[in-house]
Amino acid sequence: MAPKSFDQTMTFASMVAKKQGWALNPDADFTKDLVEGLATNWNRYGYFLCPCRDSDGSREADAKIICPCAPSWKDVEELGHCFCALYLDPVFAASGKEPRSIPDRRSQF
Amino acid sequence: MLDTLSYTDVPGDRSDHEITVYALSTCGFCKRAMAFLNARGVAYRYVYMDHVPLETKNEAKKALKERYKSDVAFPFAVIDGEKPLVGFIELDWVKTLGL
Repeated sequence: MAPKSFDQTMTFASMVAKKQGWALNPDADFTKDLVEGLATNWNRYGYFLCPCRDSDGSREADAKIICPCAPSWKDVEELGHCFCALYLDPVFAASGKEPRSIPDRRSQF
Repeated sequence: MLDTLSYTDVPGDRSDHEITVYALSTCGFCKRAMAFLNARGVAYRYVYMDHVPLETKNEAKKALKERYKSDVAFPFAVIDGEKPLVGFIELDWVKTLGL
């Protein structure tokens, strides 16, 4: 599996956000950390494991927490942002509210 | 079992609580939580669970879940060996740590 650079991973995240109608977190430092985390996880596991979740050891076991994770649509819609807060609802992003840790709802999907 | 993990100590002027942070090196909220402690001069120790071998890590997560009766998400902080703080919500950390 070819390694991913930061720029390639940022392109991936930007494309996901654009396709889903989400905004990337406007906190540039926070987003940089998350994108670096995603790149680290790709280069470690071979897939974009959510940077705020821990791997259970295989792609199959981690299927629901590969970015964009299974709960992300519902999390963005209902809570304003996804679990790791890389993707925000555009209205939430414009509100200036600060994302915070939310429950992990993967078991519901 | 949790005692066998390799923790990194972070010194600080405030040491009125014994704080252990189980974190992921890739996680934004974990970084934010530790920056919060650093900015307030709070002493703590941490371990990056994604740097721990899978089998040991799974045993540690199971031990955390059983000991603290809580689902494990990161950051997972244990205060004075008793109270878990799961995730980073700054107000919760301020209240729990009396900062």
